[in-house]
Amino acid sequence: MKKMISLNINGESYQVAVENRRTLLEVLREDLKLTGTRVMCNQGDCGSCTVLLDGVAVNSCLVLASDAVGKQVETIEGVAQGGALHPIQEEFIAKGAIQCGFCTPAMVLTTKALLAANPDPTEEDIKQTVAGTLCRCTGYVRIIDAIKGAAARRKES
Amino acid sequence: MKEFALYEPTSLKEACALLAQHGDQAKALAGGTDLLVGMKAGWLRPEVVVNLKKIDGLRDISFSERRGLSIGALVTWTQILEHPQVAEHYPALHQAAASMGSYQVRNLGTLAGNLCHASPAANGPVPLLIYEASCLIQGPRSKRTLDLSGLFAGPQKNALAPGELLSEIFLPVPPAGSKSLYLKFAQRKAMELATVAVGSLVQVKKDKFKLVRLALGAVGPVPFRAHKAEKVLLDQAASEEIMRRAAQVAMEESAPISDLRASAEYRRGLLEELTYRALRDCLA
Ligand SMILES: Cc1cc2nc3c(=O)[nH]c(=O)nc-3n(C[C@H](O)[C@H](O)[C@H](O)COP(=O)(O)OP(=O)(O)OC[C@H]3O[C@@H](n4cnc5c(N)ncnc54)[C@H](O)[C@@H]3O)c2cc1C
Repeated sequence: MKKMISLNINGESYQVAVENRRTLLEVLREDLKLTGTRVMCNQGDCGSCTVLLDGVAVNSCLVLASDAVGKQVETIEGVAQGGALHPIQEEFIAKGAIQCGFCTPAMVLTTKALLAANPDPTEEDIKQTVAGTLCRCTGYVRIIDAIKGAAARRKES
Repeated sequence: MKEFALYEPTSLKEACALLAQHGDQAKALAGGTDLLVGMKAGWLRPEVVVNLKKIDGLRDISFSERRGLSIGALVTWTQILEHPQVAEHYPALHQAAASMGSYQVRNLGTLAGNLCHASPAANGPVPLLIYEASCLIQGPRSKRTLDLSGLFAGPQKNALAPGELLSEIFLPVPPAGSKSLYLKFAQRKAMELATVAVGSLVQVKKDKFKLVRLALGAVGPVPFRAHKAEKVLLDQAASEEIMRRAAQVAMEESAPISDLRASAEYRRGLLEELTYRALRDCLA
């Protein structure tokens, strides 16, 4: 049996009818067509389904949709504001940190969470963070550069 | 994933009553990083899921010099990793938190869920065994405390009765002057269970081992203390030779299996070397 839940995603409120077993990932992609959140392994290993729940990076494939009720969900669709890319996104482009693009939404969102909690991360902090998301092109060096760049820009502004 | 009835109790008592009522058909849900993986794969097919996350008062982690560390059932690995007094007083637990899962999985997964899942290879049990942790167990009608070693009944099997929940974990203050650490050997640094894990806590006085605790993971059906190896060292002068001998005894106490991560023989060799290093590095 389905029940109605209300989700706040990127500042907007959505009403969705869901079964208990539906994950946040499934509801985002299938019901709300927010397909920027990627699906790959569906068991927490790849990190590509990462979203922010009240600012905390989590694997949306391991969160029941009903557990996101009452929380602010942020997906990659909410990162750019008013058509302008977020500085983190600009740094990813500038540093050539986007290859196939599959892991990029997760990388950008984890970077956002990391810098909010730790504005001046060491290289080791950055590596610990990106270890949760598999880059299938193995382009971690540039991703790490982009995150360093984003941290530096955040400090300037 | 098969559909299930979902309950979201707001008190521990209510959660225990629901779990007792539904028995084998029900599963408690904390971070979901073990449970939902098992449900998606179809290994677990509960009819009822009791979500613990609406229960107040389970998210606290606190330390006092007198009582030690107390960790509520919903405390995540990230909270443990970032707690300054965990790093200061319980380095083996801090190291286990740092090498647990991944950034995102640590934000979801709880220590209590890790212990209740009862994997012999899990990050939580080994450091907690050397700190001689105990568990507060809440049942539908009463509470009890349990030494951590009593929580593990077999691979992926805990010793809780139907309707019981682990509500809080206590770690006493480690003995003054002791050193402790956690060594995890795995194929990768992130998102990987241990092939073998060793925890050690050592207190040396006048060059002699005054206190030794060794805990071993992924080399038997449950994580356990290597009591025979500990005895080899007790009151002996610290030397490479005695530490090598203790490591060999630890290896003999273990009963690893062959599985996808490693053969039993490989695990034995690895365990012997890791035990030696865990002792040696406590003296450094
Ligand atoms: C990608 C990935 C990587 C991982 N890497 C590691 C790793 O490196 N090391 C490691 O040890 N584990 C690892 N895990 C496993 C898992 O993340 C941990 O065991 C985690 O701590 C489980 O906690 P949870 O809150 O998610 O538990 P849940 O999945 O919610 O619950 C686990 C089990 O415990 C029961 N339970 C939960 N809370 C209680 C309670 N308070 N009382 C009684 N029963 C309870 C549940 O019913 C369930 O059976 C990994 C998992 C994933 C998906």
